Amino acid sequence: MAKDRLAEVLERYEAVIGLEIHTEITATNTKMFCGCPVAFGGEPNTRVCPVCLGLPGALPVPNQAAIEWTVLAGLATDCDIALWSQFHRKQYFYPDMPKDYQISQYDLPFCSGGLLEVEVDGDGVAQRVDLGGGVAAVGPEAVADDGGYRTTIGITRIHLEEDTGKMVHVGGSEGRIAGATHSLVDFNRAGTPLMELVSEPDIRTPEEARRFAQKLRSIWLALGVSDCSMEEGSMRVDGNVSIRRRGESELGTKSEVKNMNSFKSLHDALAYEIVRQADLLDAGDRVVQETRHWDAGAKRTSALRSKEEAHDYRYFPEPDMVPFSFDPEWIDSLAERLPELPDARRARYMTELSLRKHDAGLLSADFAQACFFEEAVAIAGAARAKPVANWMLGDLAALLNAEGIELPESRVSPAMLAELVGLVEDGMISGKQAKEVFGDMAASGDAPGAIVEARGMRQVSDTEAIESVVRGVLEANPVEVASYRAGKTGLIGFFVGAVMREMRGQGNPKVINEVLTRMLSG
Amino acid sequence: MSTIDLSALTAREVRRGIASGDFSAREVAESAYARIEALDGEVHAFLQLTPELAFAAADRVDRARAAGEELPPLAGVPAGIKDNMNLIGTRTTCASRILGNYESVYDCTAVSRLLEAGALPIGKCNMDEFAFGSSTENSAYGPTRNPWDLERVPGGSSGGSAACVAAGMASISLGSDTGGSIRQPGALTGTVGLKPTYGRVSRYGVVAFGSSLDQIGPFGKTVDDVALALEAISGADVMDATSSVEPVDPYSEALGRGAQGLRVGIVSDMLAMEGCGEEIRRVVNSSAETFAALGAEVGEVELPSAQHGLAAYYIIGPAEASSNLARFDGIRYGRRVPDADDVLDLYMRSRAEGFGPETIRRIMLGTYALSAGYYDAYYGQAQKARTRIIQDFRAAFERFDVLLTPSTPEVAFRFGEKSDPYTMYLNDYYTIPVNLAGNCAVSVPSGLCTTAGMPMGLQIIGDYFAESTLLRAAAAFEEATHFEPVPPLVRALTGTEGGE
Ligand SMILES: [Zn+2]
Repeated sequence: MAKDRLAEVLERYEAVIGLEIHTEITATNTKMFCGCPVAFGGEPNTRVCPVCLGLPGALPVPNQAAIEWTVLAGLATDCDIALWSQFHRKQYFYPDMPKDYQISQYDLPFCSGGLLEVEVDGDGVAQRVDLGGGVAAVGPEAVADDGGYRTTIGITRIHLEEDTGKMVHVGGSEGRIAGATHSLVDFNRAGTPLMELVSEPDIRTPEEARRFAQKLRSIWLALGVSDCSMEEGSMRVDGNVSIRRRGESELGTKSEVKNMNSFKSLHDALAYEIVRQADLLDAGDRVVQETRHWDAGAKRTSALRSKEEAHDYRYFPEPDMVPFSFDPEWIDSLAERLPELPDARRARYMTELSLRKHDAGLLSADFAQACFFEEAVAIAGAARAKPVANWMLGDLAALLNAEGIELPESRVSPAMLAELVGLVEDGMISGKQAKEVFGDMAASGDAPGAIVEARGMRQVSDTEAIESVVRGVLEANPVEVASYRAGKTGLIGFFVGAVMREMRGQGNPKVINEVLTRMLSG
Repeated sequence: MSTIDLSALTAREVRRGIASGDFSAREVAESAYARIEALDGEVHAFLQLTPELAFAAADRVDRARAAGEELPPLAGVPAGIKDNMNLIGTRTTCASRILGNYESVYDCTAVSRLLEAGALPIGKCNMDEFAFGSSTENSAYGPTRNPWDLERVPGGSSGGSAACVAAGMASISLGSDTGGSIRQPGALTGTVGLKPTYGRVSRYGVVAFGSSLDQIGPFGKTVDDVALALEAISGADVMDATSSVEPVDPYSEALGRGAQGLRVGIVSDMLAMEGCGEEIRRVVNSSAETFAALGAEVGEVELPSAQHGLAAYYIIGPAEASSNLARFDGIRYGRRVPDADDVLDLYMRSRAEGFGPETIRRIMLGTYALSAGYYDAYYGQAQKARTRIIQDFRAAFERFDVLLTPSTPEVAFRFGEKSDPYTMYLNDYYTIPVNLAGNCAVSVPSGLCTTAGMPMGLQIIGDYFAESTLLRAAAAFEEATHFEPVPPLVRALTGTEGGE
């Protein structure tokens, strides 16, 4: 679907989007209501016990740590923490639910009424035609030196519940239920603590939705509450989307989109859904309230089940547990445990380390990256934070991307990167050499200093040595020297290249430049 | 082998007999099985006998004695276990077809505590399916008969647990009480049946009926035996978040202190209930006189909200039950139709074929009560009534230490006599408010009625975690009445056998 199709639709229609984000609390060692370990995968039905299998007579015992993590998550997103809270049973039959009810929360969630501020950069502004396509008309929501804007999304609630097991459909295509001959259930995941965050329908564009989810993920990672793997399903985003004609206040019929396994899918699925709904309305049809499945391969959504026959979950207070009464002092003590969150971190990178906002934002958003960065800066020195950031967001990011690995899995350590930056900043090697050294150290895991020694790469910065080479080059190219002196100063690059070649790349480009400029003008 | 007449011995005496070498634990187990052999064909107290477990436990006791070790408090005491409690090595069927072949894979906390105290697990006791009923007529495997009159019900739902103690097939047993399921069969079989305070005994491993109402409790021939068993099974359990950390008193030590100075309140408005038999009412009044004669201060008290107990209970109980029984879906265990078209068909037919009519009735009642649009009118109202009942009890216990009511409005009825569910439900009129409030209560035999010759029960109700006071009052009453009920069936048997 073409991007301009979405833009065209959004000129006429306003999208109203709310997200439901499920995050498994992977920080706890054990499941929500039993002692089974929390982990991903494994032989089916090996991390189970009478409680998480729903055997007759087994009882749930709440995991205190999971409750603390949920409260922390609420505190990190400006939520109010309930002083009185409770679990409810949400009842429906499904084979992946051991008890045929899910222990969840209903009218008394642990956290409610939060806020998340989201920034959309210049590229995303186009989806907000109401903002006039640019910053000029953005009003109070606006930032932004990069042409983007800032908007605040409400968080309705964050509650805690238990995850279900997993169905494996056998005999059909791609594990889908259609055409399957039979189904198997794996209860390893059943009972994993699951936080459900529900946003207010404050989101207006697919880009804002993506930013919201990304921002939330960066906060969860900073807290350490979850590994937030969208691929492995420890963070799952569902979207409710409806559209209405611009200027109308009544909400349209919504559809719920599931199976968006990446931020890109989230964006694309919502964009698809907005256009699909607009096509229906334009044709005089109506939108049916239903759950739709995003197929990232086919780039389309398809109806999963109709909500017309709405579920009655028959919620009632979970009688196997007493309600929770929280002491405000306990909540305060948890608040003190809150680590530095991405926004604060970004501000610190900008003020203390003089990073550009864009770089500071990228580094602070990813917790592992921020830790790596700060460790490297601690070694290299704050004055060299910028080149450290450049390396990380440039060559290192490209390398990780090419190898398809995460930062912690890389051979490059913060200490190695700091050392490399030092070698460049101290003029020991050129930037070009540094790139070679980087490639070498990323492949071998050797320290950059050792690589420089072994390759005999030490850069020549000695002015006299460079002057003698420059003299030779100028003598060998009298025509170019004359042209330069006649005003074709662009030839400087030619001379630099010639000198570098003479020095087999080991000359300090900065010194070469200085010497050349001086001798050519003299 | 000399057969020991378990009807003639208390649990305490059984242990003492083993400790002093009068007989072995193995002989006790053999005697229990001999009595079962003789009578259970007619009584049908047991759904499953577990001689391997019982004899293994007996041999451990006998070896411990031979080694000169201190014997645990229930060493060698034969015990029946209601079939809704898990015990590895047994089936736990809840007297339902849907769990007909269900083998326990873990132990119920109360059961393992009872066995750690040295008790011998004789077998799993019959019950109303999933504990829904007051007669054991709802067992999918046929009813239990009252040892006092085989034409009559033993009460329920813990009918098998009551009957096996009444018939001397076991010295003690465990039942579960959600609305009277220990106290009512206790009253109807002339045994002592205790429902502890909610949270006193872990519920881990007892198949849930009404999670906010269920408690496991003991049956015994005497208050002392019940106190011994309660000591063994009580206490906090990390596997049950509703179990209490309240310390476990040495309950049996509180006995024998009489009733001097106890403040005893007759619940006068409940006693005036229309369906209550005249003789039963008289016995409660004479029980009060007994307490007065023992030096208790006797007065009257009203529990005005208790009249709403039955209505509230038949919302809250089924609501929780409908949820708790959802897991019996044929997916992971239990009965599953072999030829389901799809998962919905599998659910519907496995459940329709696996559950009996009363179970289906309760599930439907509860599902309805929790449905959107009805929740406030039913479940919400019932919770309000429950709060009022709690307040009534709280007020009553400011004035009194224990309260008196009949355990049941009438003595054991004949099979099939209560054909409509509501009349059956009325049998729990006196016991239900206690489950709603969560405090403790015991049914103590108070004599035989003159017309039918069937046992009657006095319900004594105690405050939260006041089991010591409750049992002290019960023991004082028991001692004063000198009533030691032995069913004619047993008298005939021991008479012909010439047993002691
Ligand atoms: Zn488990």
